[in-house]
Amino acid sequence: MRIDTFRGTVRFLALVLPMTLVATAQGQMRAASRAEAYGVSVSTPTVNQKSPYAVLPTGEAMSTDQGQGVSVAGLVTAQDLFAIVTGDADPVDGSNAVSSATLGAVQLLNGLITADGVVAIASSTVGDNAVGSNAEGSSLGSLVVGGVEVSDPAPNTRMDLPGVGYVILNEQRPTGDGVTASGLTVNMIHVVLQQPILGLLGQVVGYKTVGNIIVGSATSSVTR
Amino acid sequence: MVRMKSLALLAAPIGVALVVWSCDPQRSAVAPIIGTPLAHFNEFQCTPFKMTGGGRIDYPPGTAEKNPPASHRYETFGAHVMDQDGDCVADQGALEWVDHRPEMRVNGQPLNLHATEVTFAEVATDADCRDGAVHWGGKLRVQNTGQEGVDFVVWDCDDGEPGVSDGFAIAVDLVVNGEFYAVTCPESHAEPTCTLTGGNRQFHPTH
Repeated sequence: MRIDTFRGTVRFLALVLPMTLVATAQGQMRAASRAEAYGVSVSTPTVNQKSPYAVLPTGEAMSTDQGQGVSVAGLVTAQDLFAIVTGDADPVDGSNAVSSATLGAVQLLNGLITADGVVAIASSTVGDNAVGSNAEGSSLGSLVVGGVEVSDPAPNTRMDLPGVGYVILNEQRPTGDGVTASGLTVNMIHVVLQQPILGLLGQVVGYKTVGNIIVGSATSSVTR
Repeated sequence: MVRMKSLALLAAPIGVALVVWSCDPQRSAVAPIIGTPLAHFNEFQCTPFKMTGGGRIDYPPGTAEKNPPASHRYETFGAHVMDQDGDCVADQGALEWVDHRPEMRVNGQPLNLHATEVTFAEVATDADCRDGAVHWGGKLRVQNTGQEGVDFVVWDCDDGEPGVSDGFAIAVDLVVNGEFYAVTCPESHAEPTCTLTGGNRQFHPTH
């Protein structure tokens, strides 16, 4: 009886211990921190550009990039661009990621949209007492869209741009389950370029996206 | 002849070691004295830690309220520092600092400071920061002018998550517009740090 009990205990430990170790190892391996930021991104059939661009390298704590100016003819010009990303994946004390993109004077689509001072900040934290992401610190200075001054737009404010498409201001896209992972992408100005789809009789039956312009983008995410 | 060879064989590695030692940066755990005496950040201990993150400060005044965006009266930064051995000598560190204020433009660009070396890092035990406070610094390059080897010190405060009352302050041995450059807030709960208006600082006690 004693031998059986002993053997049973050994079998139990042999089964459970490796699982515990694997679970612990997986828990530690999952801890991750991701951060990415850029000043301007243009994506059309003829242009594909992202500058300045900083992404957190695996195992590193910080990365930066900057540019005096960016100009894509007819689409966007911007000055004083900085991208800074920081983060740390720490399974013991908690992980964090902070990214920021800042720009000075910005002009899109030959002046259809202008701004003077763009800040995109995304911040994510996961630890024992807190899991979450936010866009605190993000702002748009002197924003004018189609001749209309827009002050402090709410997240995901959409405005139509006749003949061009539409713009989403202060675009915020959360990711993660909010328990073990959290992330956020903040795009301060996101222009979606569209073209009409014509029917047989030449009428407009819809629109197709033909490009994107993003100004001031910051992404952060963490996993416990 | 044999003795000469033996002597040479002995001397060669010593010489190499001396050359390597001389090339190694001689980091110091002594903080340069920049600025005035403080009510906080006066008592320190050498213990292993790591501090990471970044964000935004709206200085002046450096409170939790943002300035009007069009005023450009804000600073953005990223920074991390680590003391692995608990000897107050920084084993890793980086700082990127951008001051967007119009009066701080140098050579037509926002003032941009980039740390080239982080030397000391000490944990402050008397600062009002719930998760941890650190005083650290080293040398930086002024990106606008290329000026190298400029001393800087940082006061760094993690006051819990999600970072809304975290703080950061910097003083640099650099004259801009006739004054030594500093972004410090004597009225804050963790003087001289200014309250972050965005971002987060995270103290890792077990690095």
